[in-house]
Order: sequence, then structure tokens, then C-alpha cells
Amino acid sequence: MLNTRRFLGETNKYLSLILLIVLVMIVLYPLVIIGINAFKSPQDYASHGPMSLPRSFYTDGLTAFWNRVSFGDKLINSALISSAVAVLAIALSLFNAFALGIGRVKWTTAFLVLFLLGNFLPHEALVYPLYYFAKALHLYDTRLAVILVFTVIQSAFGTYLLTSVFSEFPKELIEAAVIDGTNKFQLLTRIILPLSMPTLSVLFVFFFIWTWNEFFLPLILLVSSANQTVPIAIATLQGQHNMDVTTSSASALLGVLPCILFFLLFQRTLTRGITAGSIK
Amino acid sequence: MSPGRNTASPKEGFMVNRLPYLRKGFWFFLLPGIIGLLLVIILPFLVTVAASFTKWNGVNPPTWVGLANYERAMGDLKFWAAFRNNLVMILAVTVVPTLLGLLVSVFLFDYITRKFKPGLANFFRAALYIPQVLPVAIAGVVWRWILNPNWGSLNVTLESLGLGSLAHNWLGDPATALPAVMIIMVWFQIGYPLVIFMAALQRVDPELLEAAEIDGASWLQKFFHITIHQIRPEIFVVVLTTTIYALKIFGQIYVLTRGGPGSATIVPSYYTYQALFEQANVGYGSTIATIMTIIIILLTFAFIRIQVRHEFSRQEV
Amino acid sequence: MSAKVLKLLSFVLTGSLLLGLFACQPAPTATQAPQAPTEQAPAPTEAPTEAATEVPAENRVLKVWHYESDTGAMGKAWLAAKEEFEATHPGVTVEMDNSKGFEEVRQTASMVLNSEEAPDVMEYNKGNATAGLLSQQGLLADMTDEVAKRGWDKIIVGGLQTTSRYENGVMGSGQWYGVTNYGEFVMVYYNKALFEQHGVEIPTTLEEMEAAMDTFVAAGLVPIATGASEYPAQQIFYELVLSKADQDLIDSYQLYKTPVDFHNEAFTFGAEKMAEWVEKGYIEKNSTSMGAEDMGLGFESGEYPMMISGSWWYGRLMTEITGFDWGIFLFPGNEFNPGSGGNLWVVAENSENKDLAYDWIDITLSPKIQTIMGNEGGLPVNANADEITDPKVQELVEAFKEFSPGAAFYPDWPAPGLYDALVSNVQELINGTMTPSEMLDAIDTFYNENRPQ
Repeated sequence: MLNTRRFLGETNKYLSLILLIVLVMIVLYPLVIIGINAFKSPQDYASHGPMSLPRSFYTDGLTAFWNRVSFGDKLINSALISSAVAVLAIALSLFNAFALGIGRVKWTTAFLVLFLLGNFLPHEALVYPLYYFAKALHLYDTRLAVILVFTVIQSAFGTYLLTSVFSEFPKELIEAAVIDGTNKFQLLTRIILPLSMPTLSVLFVFFFIWTWNEFFLPLILLVSSANQTVPIAIATLQGQHNMDVTTSSASALLGVLPCILFFLLFQRTLTRGITAGSIK
Repeated sequence: MSPGRNTASPKEGFMVNRLPYLRKGFWFFLLPGIIGLLLVIILPFLVTVAASFTKWNGVNPPTWVGLANYERAMGDLKFWAAFRNNLVMILAVTVVPTLLGLLVSVFLFDYITRKFKPGLANFFRAALYIPQVLPVAIAGVVWRWILNPNWGSLNVTLESLGLGSLAHNWLGDPATALPAVMIIMVWFQIGYPLVIFMAALQRVDPELLEAAEIDGASWLQKFFHITIHQIRPEIFVVVLTTTIYALKIFGQIYVLTRGGPGSATIVPSYYTYQALFEQANVGYGSTIATIMTIIIILLTFAFIRIQVRHEFSRQEV
Repeated sequence: MSAKVLKLLSFVLTGSLLLGLFACQPAPTATQAPQAPTEQAPAPTEAPTEAATEVPAENRVLKVWHYESDTGAMGKAWLAAKEEFEATHPGVTVEMDNSKGFEEVRQTASMVLNSEEAPDVMEYNKGNATAGLLSQQGLLADMTDEVAKRGWDKIIVGGLQTTSRYENGVMGSGQWYGVTNYGEFVMVYYNKALFEQHGVEIPTTLEEMEAAMDTFVAAGLVPIATGASEYPAQQIFYELVLSKADQDLIDSYQLYKTPVDFHNEAFTFGAEKMAEWVEKGYIEKNSTSMGAEDMGLGFESGEYPMMISGSWWYGRLMTEITGFDWGIFLFPGNEFNPGSGGNLWVVAENSENKDLAYDWIDITLSPKIQTIMGNEGGLPVNANADEITDPKVQELVEAFKEFSPGAAFYPDWPAPGLYDALVSNVQELINGTMTPSEMLDAIDTFYNENRPQ
């Protein structure tokens, strides 16, 4: 174990704890601000500004926002798109990494770099062509288009990560399986898949959160409000002649809660999972 | 080196596992990935590159202008300001969060876990990761409130502490705008390296550290020579991904400053956005996007080459 | 081990189930804001077929998009219009969508109008950089014949027509591509209590205004609330330019009749005066990171004696200001002021329901709906004056009448993207990182590079 005892004395134990708590308070401060304003009435806000506590508990802002942008639909859309992308991207990454990391096809390195770039490319460089492709395929304004696009983009990152994991895969296991007469597909599903669950779980969490928070491409590809996602609904309130800010905060809170909940639920998987080289 | 395990030579590429008897038939698995990549990434990017040689408003047919857009970019002060800001941004998005992440992760992993319950370390990690989970639009709006020069909590707090002279027009003064955005970026980014490093630290062999301690190594020496060395792959991934992210930053700038005041916080992706969607100048916007992408491609190649070399020097161990 | 596989399997199953269920079915309908319960808009189909082929004469749907809030004057008037429309058009449902903000609409307008997802009629900003651009891209229906047929050109007269007609993307002449149904203009909102408290009278000349502001500065107040990270500050700059402008300058700047000399008397005066105002403390440097919302809030909270902005704030201030008495006056000494006809109704060229769209516009222009708009604090163009009851609203309507002959539109109209350039340059002027002359040069360059050729 790392021994920091010489670096920090025993008495500093609580001092360091306090420091950490202060750090966390600073980091979470913006979240608190969102919270107080979500339950403030517009008049309260107008007289006392965003930094003060609400004088009374006001939930009309939340309900008004919910109705105006049919937030329920947006939640469903975001959840649908994010989970579909997460699942499909994992599948795609698995297939790719299987071929690259285990199978070592020709030009593996080149492919790896290509996939990595797929995740790295700025979306502005893709947006107009994707709009035209989607229109041509009659996929403009469909959630399917968004799912397909982000499946590719996220799986690019997943491919990179998984290939790194698979390349360290103990060869003995594979040899044993081959001797037993498994075909490639069985090799993937029966041996590789179960052992990479930790990493896959991590990827699921990342992919879900990253896709949920995507704003730019969904804005362009999704038009009718029945199809749009949560970040777009929130960004609606950034226009020239705004609706009132307390409704903005209400929307902010509603937009943030699903993410936080999801993250807290799956926090554990992050611990267990990211140990890429832990298949010992 | 154990036989059959990573015996690939540098020429054959890295992260390669040699299994001669299973080589055939793997292409099938790669097919969907390649198709996806082609349709969603490669083809659109090529179209964008083509568009960069045109004058186009996105609706009516484009007209070919050759290198005119590129010439314009070279002489465009705003363009250079954008890339300069990008470089500066790397400090806030890569360097500081990585270093800070390393320190805090070690602190949490070792000290807090031992002195208190491990659950406490998990709590801190979760709390510090929250900024990554928040949608950028919301975080941005809230930070604008906090930094508002007249009633924002930062200035108000400074005044109440008697430090009113330190109060600034944070996002509106060109001298403080970029630093303010950078600090917000650190706030935003810190969770990502933290989570990755904390997981990576689980891999560090405790016996190595005990052995070193017996040999009389100081905390600092153990930190550098053992810990950092052991989690080098993760450090590498974090540095690469955060650097690329720094080059692509858009959302935070859009919400916080719209690239202002003046050109103080303009970045290439925001400049591209302005050209594409505000000025309906798809040609010029594509030019900036193309240049930005080429830089990212070059950087990625450079990083991968460095990683390859390290992979093989690592295998020498 | 099996638990983990199970977990993954359940992910996959749920994922594909959801995928199968939702992605292939029609998307659920957007629920409207609290409405009369009779309206139930049919689900828009997601199937990739061509636009509706055989839709029976009944059961048609008119898609109307706008970005005003439901509680504002326009929002309320248009909700009433929807009821009226459906009452007079049995079998047709109006699907109104105001969930998008203007930013989003503007960013995606040309993409949306160029596709099957286009609405039939929508609210859009007026001006060369917005509606003009769309008309040039061939995305808007030419309404000239309808206008003549229905007599809209008798209602929309004079300066209001300028923003409705575009030729090659330039407003002022040519075909009718948009129809407005309200007006807007920029004036000075003032806090009567603060004025009284400091013995300040309503200024009638620029010099008097500056003297008034000196009084406020001496009392430790910042005289003008503004926001330089968005549109308000550039409108103040424009007001100052207009104080020395004539119709020729407006015609050349907005309609490209002759080349613009950005270092002429008016522009130079405007830029230098603005810089002077910052120096004297009339406008605070902090405004560079403040937006329109901050400005409004600042004025509403009673912190600032004055706010120079548009009539679109009027209804909101009427509801939200409770602590003090307030009023308006036109920018002292100016013949011209920023302002124009309001946002336009534009009809998509792709629309299959153009006839319905024109009926819709007709209804929103009808005296009945216009009077509703007026009484809610809006600026109607065709209301029954004797039916406007609220004295505060009457004040506004009076001021609008006074303003109308001198409509000078808005400073960001002449070129797409000029809005951002102006925000950026005015910020630099306020911060002192650009001299007035440099700022004018920067605007000059951008204007000439980006205006329609």
C-alpha cells in the first residue's frame, strides 16, 4: 500500500478531511444554486436575485416548464436514445475489439487509429453532411438517426478501450477453448464476454451519460418536439426573449436529476470496472 | 517474455496478440464497425473537406472557390486567436486536471481509505465526478450567475470578506475572461481523471511499495517511481483524451461567453459554429473544421506512436 | 459469472425491446400547454413516406410554430386565434408548437424548411439576415398574390411593409415573403420613483439626458441598465448613431442603396459618444458579461433609473414590477429609433396547406385577435383602439404612433452574423480594448464581407 504516513502526520487526518469537504462543497455549489432557484417564484427571483433562498416553496415553475416542453416526452426520448446507444455501442465495440485485439487482423494498428479518430472528430466537421445523408435516407427527424450516429461515435472509443483490454487477454484461455473446438462466435460469447463484464459495465455508464448530454448533433437531426431530447429542451430557454429564469432552473434541475440518479446507481460499477488490466 | 504473448514486433503494431491459428474469419466481426465508421465519420468528413473549397450557404448549390477560404483563414486574426486560446485551454483541461486528479486520487485511495472507511473515498469521488454528469448548458448558466459582476456570489462573498478590490467583471473583462473559463473547465474536468486513476491505483502491487519502503524510499520517491510508473497506461489515455477534448471545446464557450468579450475566449469549434449557423457561410466553416480536424489527426498519430514505443519498452521489463 | 452474463443479457434485451417498441412506431404527440380539452392533435407519423398523399379534405393538420411564451401578449392572442381558426375550419386541427426558442429555430431554420419536417406557417425574425436569407434560399412561399387578394397591404402600411417584402434577400421591395401582425420599437424605460427622488425630469434633448445621468452618477447609481453580451448594448450604440442620421444613411446601411461610410459623422458620433458614456459611468463596464435577462432583472429590481430596450419587455414589466412606478419615453432628440414591424409569419414553400396557412394569418390580423393582443400589452397593428382598456397599454400604443414614421430597424440586420460581430465589437469598445475608430473599422470589414452581394 502507498504509505503517506510520513507525508501527513496522524493529527492531520481530520484537517485533510476538512479540506476535502471544502473542495466538495465548492464543486457542488453550482448544483445547490440550481436547486434553490428551481423552487422560487418569478417575483421572488425578480426582487431578490438568484443567490438568495426562496421565500416560499414554489413548484409552479417546474410544472409550467414540464408542460411547455412536454418534458415527459423528452425524458423518454433521452432515455431511449441513451440506452439504445449504450447497448449497441457496446456490442459494436465488442465485435471490433474481438477482431482487432484477439484476432489481430491485418492493419490492426491502422484500424485502431481510425476508430479512435472516429471518436475524436469534432462534430462540426460532420454536421452538414450528416444532415443531408439523413434527409436522403428519410431518417431526418428520427431518433433512429441519432442512435445510429452516436452508436458509431461512442463505439469508436469503446473499440479503442476494449482492444487494449483484449490484447492483454491470457492466451492460454483462448488456446484451451480452441482445442475444445469452439468457433469464434462461441469464443466471444462464452469466454471473452463474461470476463470483460467489468469493463463493459463501465462503458455502459460512460456511453449512457455521454449520449444523454449530447446537444449539438441531436439539435440538428431532431426537429419535431416529439422527438427531441432533454438537453435541447433545456437549451430552449437560452433564447433572446427568455421565459423567466426560475423556470430555467426548474428545467435545469429536471434535466440534471436523471443523470445524477443514473450515475449514483451505477457508481459501483465504475470502481470495479475500469481496471483494464485486472484480468489476472 | 512469455512465449506467444505479445511477441509482435514494433513493425506489426502494438496491442497485438499473436494467434496464428485463429487469424482467418475475424474480418466478419469487423464489418459492421467499418461500415458504421465509413457512413458516419469518413464520408461526412470528406464531404466537409470538399465543402471547404466552396462558397456555400447550405441550401443553394455551392460554387467552387479553390483555396480562397484557406487563404482567408491564414490572414484571419480571429482564427489565430481561436487556436491560441485552444493551446491555453490545454492547460486547464489536460494539465491541471491530470495533475490534480493524480494527487487527489492517490490521497483518496490511500489516505482516506485507510484512515476512514472506503465508503468515504467513494463518496468524495462521486461528488467530484458530478460536474461531468451535469449538462453543460445548465452548468454554464449557473456559473454565469456565480460570476455575475454585480450580484454573483463570488463578488458578493469577496465584498463581505472585505476583499472587494478583488472583485472583477470575470466573464466580461478580457483580462479575466479566459482564466475564468479555464478555472470552470478544471471544475468540470476534475472528475474524469479522478475516477480513472482511482480505479487504476487498484492495480498497483502493494508488495512493490512495501519493498521500496523497506529500502528507505520517501513518499515522493515511491509516488514517482512506482505509482506513476505503474499506472502509466491510464495516465496516457487521460492525457490523450483530455487534450483532444480541449481542442474540441464548444459547449462551455457557447454558454459562458459566446467567444467574447471581443475574441478573448473564441475557440475554433465555436468559430466554426458561427460560420455555419450564424453567417450561413458553410464553406468557411468547413475550412476551419477541416483544419481543426487535421490537427487532431496529427496529434492522435503522434500520441499513438509514443504509446507504441512505450508499450514495447514496457515489455522489456 | 452467470449473474454478470444475465445482467448483460437484460441490458441487451431491454435495449432492443425499447428500440423495437419506440423507434419504429409513431412518436408520441407533443402535449400542449393547458388547453381547452377539445384539441387532440393526431400523432405525426415517423414513417419515411412522402408528405401526406391522400389526406381527406377533413382531418387536415396545420402546423404552426412560434417562439413566444404562452403568457405573453402574442402567445395569448395566438392561442385565441387557434380557437377561432378551429371553430371556423371544422375538420382541421391546429398543431401549435412553441417549445423551441428563437436561437434553435434560427440555427436550424434552413435545414428544417428544406425538409419534409417543415411546419406550414411559422414565426420568424424579420430582416435581411434572417427572413431575407431564407427567401433567397427559396424556402419561403411568395405571398404577393394572397396579400393583394386579402387586402393585407391595407393593414400593413408604410414602414411595416419594408420588413415583409424581399428582393434577392434584401428587404424593402419585391415580393411579400412574410406578414407581421404586431409592431416593436426601442425606447427608454424609466423608474419614476428614482427620477422623482433625485429631482430629474424627463429629458427632451440628448444634453438634458446626459445632465440627468450626471445627477444619477453623482448619487452613486449607474444610470443605464444594459447588457453587452447580447443585443441591448448595440441598440444603444445604434440610437446614438441615429441621433445624427438621416433617411439616406438608413437606406444605405439597411438597404444597400449606396455604400456606407462607417467614418461619417453619424457613425463616428455614435461610437465616440458610447465610449464617452462608458467613461462617465453612464454605462458600466460590468455590462460586458451581462445579458438581456440581467438587464431586465436589474431594472425590475429598482437598481437602475433607466433601461434602453424594446417594447417586447412591456408586458412582462407590467406583470413583474411591483415596487415602483415606471414609464417610457422615446430616446430624446432622435428622429429615428430602432424598431420595425414585429416578427413575421412566413409560409414554407414546401407546405401542402398553404391555403390554411393564409387563413391563419388572416385570423391573426383580424381586429378581434389584434385587440386581445393589445389588451395583453402587445403592440397590435389592427386593433380597435376604443377596445384597448388598460391605460398602461394605451401609453405604449401612443408612443408607437409617435415612433412609427422614424422606424430605423435594427443594427444587426444588414448581414448574417452581424449580430455576433456587433456584440463582440461593442464589448471591446466598452472594455476599452478598441478605440471608437477601430470598432468602426471592424464593423466596416464584417459588414462588407458578409452582406448580400
